[in-house]
Amino acid sequence: MKTVYLCENSVEGILSGVYAAWTSRKGHANVKLGLIGDEDTMELFCQYEEVPVNAGHADKVVRAIREKISEEAYIVVYKAALSKERDRGDKIYRFLIYGFHLGAKVVHMLQVPEVFEIFQMCRNIDNETHLLTGFVRFVEMEGDLLVSRIGPKNDVLVLLAPHFMDRLSGENWVIYDENRKKAVMHPALRPWFLVDLISSEWEERMKKASDEDEYEALFQCFRKSISIKERTNPVCQRNHMPLRYRAYMPEFSHGLKDS
Amino acid sequence: MLIQEELSVQEKLEILSDAAKYDVACTSSGVDRKGKAGTLGNAAACGICHSFSADGRCISLLKILFTNQCIYDCKYCINRCSNDVVRTAFTPEEVCQLTIQFYRRNYIEGLFLSSGILHSANYTMDLIYQTLKKLREEYHFHGYIHVKAIPGADPVLIEKTGFLADRMSINLELPTADGLKKLAPGKSRSKILTPMKQIQKGITANRYELMEYKKAPSFVPAGQSTQMIVGATGENDFQMMMVAEALYQNYDLKRVFYSAFVPVNQDSSLPALPGGPPLLREHRLYQADWLMRFYGFQAGELLSEDRPNFNVFLDPKCDWALRHLEIFPVEVNRADYYTLLRVPGMGVKSVKRIIAARRNGPLDFDALKKIGVVLKRALYFITCSGRMMYPIKIEEDFITSHLLGEEQKKVWDIGSSGTFRQLSLFDDMNVPALTDLRGVRL
Ligand code: SF4
Repeated sequence: MKTVYLCENSVEGILSGVYAAWTSRKGHANVKLGLIGDEDTMELFCQYEEVPVNAGHADKVVRAIREKISEEAYIVVYKAALSKERDRGDKIYRFLIYGFHLGAKVVHMLQVPEVFEIFQMCRNIDNETHLLTGFVRFVEMEGDLLVSRIGPKNDVLVLLAPHFMDRLSGENWVIYDENRKKAVMHPALRPWFLVDLISSEWEERMKKASDEDEYEALFQCFRKSISIKERTNPVCQRNHMPLRYRAYMPEFSHGLKDS
Repeated sequence: MLIQEELSVQEKLEILSDAAKYDVACTSSGVDRKGKAGTLGNAAACGICHSFSADGRCISLLKILFTNQCIYDCKYCINRCSNDVVRTAFTPEEVCQLTIQFYRRNYIEGLFLSSGILHSANYTMDLIYQTLKKLREEYHFHGYIHVKAIPGADPVLIEKTGFLADRMSINLELPTADGLKKLAPGKSRSKILTPMKQIQKGITANRYELMEYKKAPSFVPAGQSTQMIVGATGENDFQMMMVAEALYQNYDLKRVFYSAFVPVNQDSSLPALPGGPPLLREHRLYQADWLMRFYGFQAGELLSEDRPNFNVFLDPKCDWALRHLEIFPVEVNRADYYTLLRVPGMGVKSVKRIIAARRNGPLDFDALKKIGVVLKRALYFITCSGRMMYPIKIEEDFITSHLLGEEQKKVWDIGSSGTFRQLSLFDDMNVPALTDLRGVRL
């Protein structure tokens, strides 16, 4: 009977799951990785086992990837663990089977389906991160605090944070992921950190601040006058800037239509 | 001239961004600069788009004129002195505030500052210099700045400004001296090319300096760019591409931008353009420019005196491949980098992936698809381990008709019979699809 190892939804959790499944010696074909909370995909005739997060085990897996495969493979696995893909735990496991077998060259072997899956997950999360470096919008709140709200498909916060930490090093800022109810916080001139956050109060405050921020109006006016009427092309605009991002941007008045 | 003194910042912004919008040079790419602890800003070489305007163009920089007052009378320009429009100017302080506050909110990647010519070239250049100096030194702004060099300004001023900016540009506007004389009476080829040469020399000199003392401030680190207007005068595509090629080769330009002419003024010396701005032509020029910069093509390979304009129906790369069928099909598992780059449906990224992946064993068509090759186009030009995807004849008409597809074939037939107008082309083909041109940000 197949054993499904259910791990916590985090990088550490997934890597703890990899460790448990690998060291079970049941054979790769007889184990599977799942995520806690994803029970609707439960199968009959499977044995389920919950894996507690174990930093020591996760560490061992990380070290093994870095030493026996490559640094690049570690980055790939790390990003894949943040992916929106439901099956990310098991996909990482399948990728690592090839990785430990083939070594560093595995990351280029897109002809292997298990590698291609991971490659696509990484591409997707990289794209979303890149778009958000441009589409994140801060609102200035009292006390020189810049606050932003996002709703990304992938768990991009830790990938976004270094970009803004370098760019806005002297500012106090917060980026809140409303899908995952967590935020990156950055006090001026200090390192950033992650916190869990429930935000009903924040949302009120942000809305108020946004109504009062005179620069939002100025930016809207700029966006409007910079567009060339004779070239109007909403399809092109939508291709570059999918509608789902617009809900968070003041220039669309937090709606979807161009204001 | 109506000069308005008492305008709000919002009114000024409306006028001075509206007047700057025809300048396409808005990408922010080309330089990577880490932030400095406690100051605002850094620069990313990949370029970041912050928003897209209703015309689908990327908004990356706060693109404004310092003033729309101008002593010249260029026929195509909304700011020409003979036009009766409201005139205004920012103060350096206002430009700094807008830049900083937009940047903190992550609306923009930096500033693009251009200007009409107020009093004289030197006076204007100095205003621009003072503004940049304030922004860099008083506001400690570390983000991207693109600035216009004013033709005819003192070389010393241009140099001082260059040390504060990331990119400098001087618009050539019209590709030939004749065109320039006709539409921009105040300018001349040499007035434009002299500062362009100076900036190039500044960049090269600085490159050597950097090797000796690491601390030397860098001179326009993101390089120099220019813009040409498409379709205001009678130049053909071949002339445009030859000029672009010369600019890349002789002036080390980073980018040449093409801007489809939009008639903003009524003037007998300007074309009427009933079909709207020549967007398809502009698109083809960008595609060809891309081929020259990243694919190793030369202008003379794409066009010639006898075939001076791009094919309306095929992109320049397909068009080229169809005229060189003798070198196809190429074997994906053996062909070198540059040969693969010339295959329609393959791009720089996918070719790099092919080279990395095939080291570990031969690739088949399925693998190519995963790698990102557009097989629909590539299949006529390649073999995998000696086999083509389908048994087909390498024959020009056959491949052309397939590449054009059914919908476009109809247009092709109409076009060849001569009853076809450019206007309908835009409707039928829904052309300006700039989306497949990743990386070309307008
Ligand atoms: S110099 Fe010519 S193109 Fe430039 S602002 Fe003046 S009129 Fe316009």
